[in-house]
Amino acid sequence: MKAAMYSLLPRARSMRLIAAIGVALLAGLALMACVSSEPLRAWLILLTGALPELRHGTDGAWHWHRLVRFGTVLEDTVNLSLLGLAVAIPFRARQFSLGADGQLFLGALAGAVVALYWPGPGWLALLLCAAAAMLAGFLWGGATGVLKQCCGANEMVVSLMLNLIAIEFYRLVILYCLRDPNAGFPATAFFPDKATFAPLLAQTNVTWMLVAAPLAALATALLLGRTTLGYEIRVTGSAPDFAHAAGLPVGRAVVLSMALGGALAGLAGFHVGHALLKRLPVDLTPGLGLEGLLVALLARHQPRSVVPAAFFYAWLRAGGQAMERSTDVSREIALVIQALVILLVVAQRWPLAAWMRRLAARRAHA
Amino acid sequence: MNVIKPVSTLPWRLELRSVSKHYSNGTANGVLAVDGVDLQLARGEIHALIGENGAGKSTLMKMVYGLEQPSAGTILLDGKAVRFNAPATAIAAGIGLVPQHVQLIASFSVARNVVLGAEPARLGWLRQAEAVRATRDLSRRYGLEVDPLALVASLSLGEQQRVEVIKALYRGADLLMLDEPGAVLSQDEAVSLFCALRALADAGLTVLLITHKISDVLDVADRYTVLRAGRVVGSGVSAEASAAGLASLIVGQPVANLNMLNTPAPVDTAGGTQARAAARLRVQQLVLRTGTAECLDGVSFDVAPGEILGIAGVEGNGQHLLAKVLSGHAPDAGSVGVGGVDGIEVDYTGAGVRAALRCGVAVVPADRLHDGAAPDLSIADNAIASTYARAPLSLRGWLQPGAVDAAARRMIAAFRVKADGPQQAIGTLSGGNMQKIVLARSLESRPRVLVACQPTRGVDIGAATFLRDRLLALREAGAAIVLISADLDEVLLLSDRIAVMYRGRIAGHFRRGQAEAHTLAACMTGAHSPAHAGPRHSHDAALAKAAP
Repeated sequence: MKAAMYSLLPRARSMRLIAAIGVALLAGLALMACVSSEPLRAWLILLTGALPELRHGTDGAWHWHRLVRFGTVLEDTVNLSLLGLAVAIPFRARQFSLGADGQLFLGALAGAVVALYWPGPGWLALLLCAAAAMLAGFLWGGATGVLKQCCGANEMVVSLMLNLIAIEFYRLVILYCLRDPNAGFPATAFFPDKATFAPLLAQTNVTWMLVAAPLAALATALLLGRTTLGYEIRVTGSAPDFAHAAGLPVGRAVVLSMALGGALAGLAGFHVGHALLKRLPVDLTPGLGLEGLLVALLARHQPRSVVPAAFFYAWLRAGGQAMERSTDVSREIALVIQALVILLVVAQRWPLAAWMRRLAARRAHA
Repeated sequence: MNVIKPVSTLPWRLELRSVSKHYSNGTANGVLAVDGVDLQLARGEIHALIGENGAGKSTLMKMVYGLEQPSAGTILLDGKAVRFNAPATAIAAGIGLVPQHVQLIASFSVARNVVLGAEPARLGWLRQAEAVRATRDLSRRYGLEVDPLALVASLSLGEQQRVEVIKALYRGADLLMLDEPGAVLSQDEAVSLFCALRALADAGLTVLLITHKISDVLDVADRYTVLRAGRVVGSGVSAEASAAGLASLIVGQPVANLNMLNTPAPVDTAGGTQARAAARLRVQQLVLRTGTAECLDGVSFDVAPGEILGIAGVEGNGQHLLAKVLSGHAPDAGSVGVGGVDGIEVDYTGAGVRAALRCGVAVVPADRLHDGAAPDLSIADNAIASTYARAPLSLRGWLQPGAVDAAARRMIAAFRVKADGPQQAIGTLSGGNMQKIVLARSLESRPRVLVACQPTRGVDIGAATFLRDRLLALREAGAAIVLISADLDEVLLLSDRIAVMYRGRIAGHFRRGQAEAHTLAACMTGAHSPAHAGPRHSHDAALAKAAP
């Protein structure tokens, strides 16, 4: 009996995660009760709004409804996974990179240039676009690392500043070089078919890029756990002074961790351009990169947890949108709940848990 | 040192009656960290609580300080049973703790640190002058000399520890517990701290000294209690104790390895030119300035294969910088070279740690928690840090998990590390076991030169003996070893030759058996310059004189 209890101990962390999510959702319900006339319905929509629905149609057959909404969950999951990994890799080398946005924009731009101007065989186009996007992200991410390593510049400041440069450069190129005069608004022309993905689900933009997210997570896990470079990144992040003393190439690990993170953010840009939008508008919204930061936090920078964390995040977001459309509760409540979940997951200590442990110990003592 | 007995009418200042502490969480059967301990402390005595790491000293201390609660038994203060649920209650009862690693705010002045948390205030404003006055009073009264207005960051570790003592006194402590106070101090600083403790005891305060150094018991304490595996295995009056008797109580068996002294001396090459030709490590005229007091100022020496050169000295006299340069960092001037397999000397001055490793020079860093290991990573990750880039641990950039696991298991077995397995985080090991992995890693690269900095600092006697044996085995295998240690006994025990560093120079150079502890100690303080090897003499002259 006792032995069985102890074998449960390693699961304490996942139990805690479930508890954190549960507490945050319940707090959300309490919040809704304050602002809504039908809090329970709004809460259920928040939780289930992202689900597709199987409904009996007038023709007597069963039909899936709301697939589009579930499609956006999957699309967001891909974006957020790649961006979460883009933050997690530098973090493992103890680098706080906030540059995923800029890397995404440049990645999307590089992919667009190849898509619009590549004259060669069509089967190569997508591969080339992806490679160009990742290379752009790699170089832009690496630039942050080089500036930190060579000039001692703070990577948070540098990556934020490089974001501005990248985003304005993106707008400049779209407006003055790639703009399609017939588009009606400032955007590039649609990419040729050979350079875009066909949807897997009708009316959505869910494409084969869906497998890119778990593959990227797997590749990151392998990189960190099984390669010498990953080892250098982990040791550098865990104990920089030890890494120096042991003769590890610390500078290289720092620069490459940022560059590799950048490559994944570039891949997210490729996903935005070639799977979701099929063209690039000048007013592509920045800010996705910061959501990647939240996903990485939620996953505690573990590559294998990034995809589930991204899915959960996207799920709540879609549910929040559904809630806003069909009830009197605004989407901000969903944001508050997201924030609560992250706070509770990231908190190092949980006063409540400690209190309960102490209570249990006292009872065992008595 | 008079024997202290409580006057029959006066109760003990602190008394523990069969106190036990049982930790149940973590493992199925739990750990009995402290097992029915009795302890009595009288007013005005210095009592040493001695034992290996893991003997239960810290747990006992935590229970008295209210950080842990005993599972059984009673703690009595002045004859009254007490129960402390938090340090605040213990402090209020007059108990003060001086932690092993100082916990001061470096950017605050001494006075502000002393009053921190109990500030003399008027209407919420700190009364700076009052804080300074109180600090100065306490420091004068007990001979704990320190400038109340100095920034803590500018103080030496010894002075910082004095501030910790004053801080405890300011809170009204008359029972002072010191956790391994000698561990981080140089010999000088320890002596002056112990003098201050004697003054405190003479003034009627009670001092509990938690230590694993036998010399602390013999030199400082009035009485002692020996803990082993959570139980009291001996106690008595220090004046009647002997080092050998204490050592056997602490480790539980006669220390077999004192016969290390009988190991054959290394092969001695006859003299001058021949010795130089055979040198494995050659250090010439190293100069390194840092802007602080610590520097290297023309350090030269040779180490032959199969020889241990001990570097003795009060910490902060350049040993740290010497280790850095030997590990591959660049000096301002001078050179370090290592004799190759083919007899050709390779100059690796400033070539970097990795190049030094390739040349066969491995370093055991002084501070295992800081730059000797990555505490959060697994034993395996720590074990491979100097060899991961080569086959069989990695092939073309891919780590080989089987080989990594095997290497870690081999080290755990060969060094008798007490661990659950290679995946356990190294920071959860005891200091001794952690240091074993650190040394095992350095030996894994088969070094031809080993620079061992404080290889047994803060390590229990059993582990220290084991680690020293390994160093001697490496010497037998023909490596040249530079042993940098603040522990003079260790230097005397292991070294074939001893160089004393003082203010960035080699202040003296001795052969084994030629030097006695007090000669070395005098040389370390710069008071005494041995006739045969003054700092002004050239390196060659020093060596020639040192050779028999």
